[in-house]
Amino acid sequence: MDNPAQALEEARRAGIDLDLLDTNLALSVKERWSQHDAALELALQLEEAGKNRDAKLQPPPATAR
Amino acid sequence: MQNFSHLLQRLADAGLEFVLVGGFAAVAHGSFHLTRDVDICALLTSDNIGKLREALAGWNPKHRMTPQKLSFLLHPTPGETVNNLYLQTDLGMVDILTSIKGVGDFQRLRANAEELEVDGRRFHVISLADLITAKEAMGREKDLLTAKELRAIAAKRQGH
Repeated sequence: MDNPAQALEEARRAGIDLDLLDTNLALSVKERWSQHDAALELALQLEEAGKNRDAKLQPPPATAR
Repeated sequence: MQNFSHLLQRLADAGLEFVLVGGFAAVAHGSFHLTRDVDICALLTSDNIGKLREALAGWNPKHRMTPQKLSFLLHPTPGETVNNLYLQTDLGMVDILTSIKGVGDFQRLRANAEELEVDGRRFHVISLADLITAKEAMGREKDLLTAKELRAIAAKRQGH
């Protein structure tokens, strides 16, 4: 493994929120998995809502005269 | 509804021996990245395929890479060998892999795996060091970013 200080610096530079990481590491594995499941469910619902909105914005198909 | 925790409980309760790998293993180690599937490494023997079917039977398991979305309850047929399974179920997507790029096969992963207890069940999870190796071996941008996050977690485990 790397030098720990270097690993933390590289993570920070990559945009990883180290405070959020600390918060996550304070949780149990069960809590991490539960939070992930809830976040994924919400993300998928938002994705579905976005698709539905986009479908409504599509112009109606041209009809033959 | 996606429920990876329940999916893993089902697999454990069916007596399947597996090592959790991939993004959900990263979450177990402390990563906050979202993943859309559960990846496990297991031996795909006929006995284990039977256990997988028992675990997933009520959750509509299908081979998601096949155009016809073949039922996992009927395929593979007896005697047919498979290297990996890519399934969709009502609980979410689950990939069953027989080896992990950059690390090795089930026995190799199992030897180094960390044992975690969740709700009274013991799960084998790929070690943090092996997961970093696997993510770096994948080489995609998102995997490299997760590898950086995992290296930071390793540093924090050392008290930094």
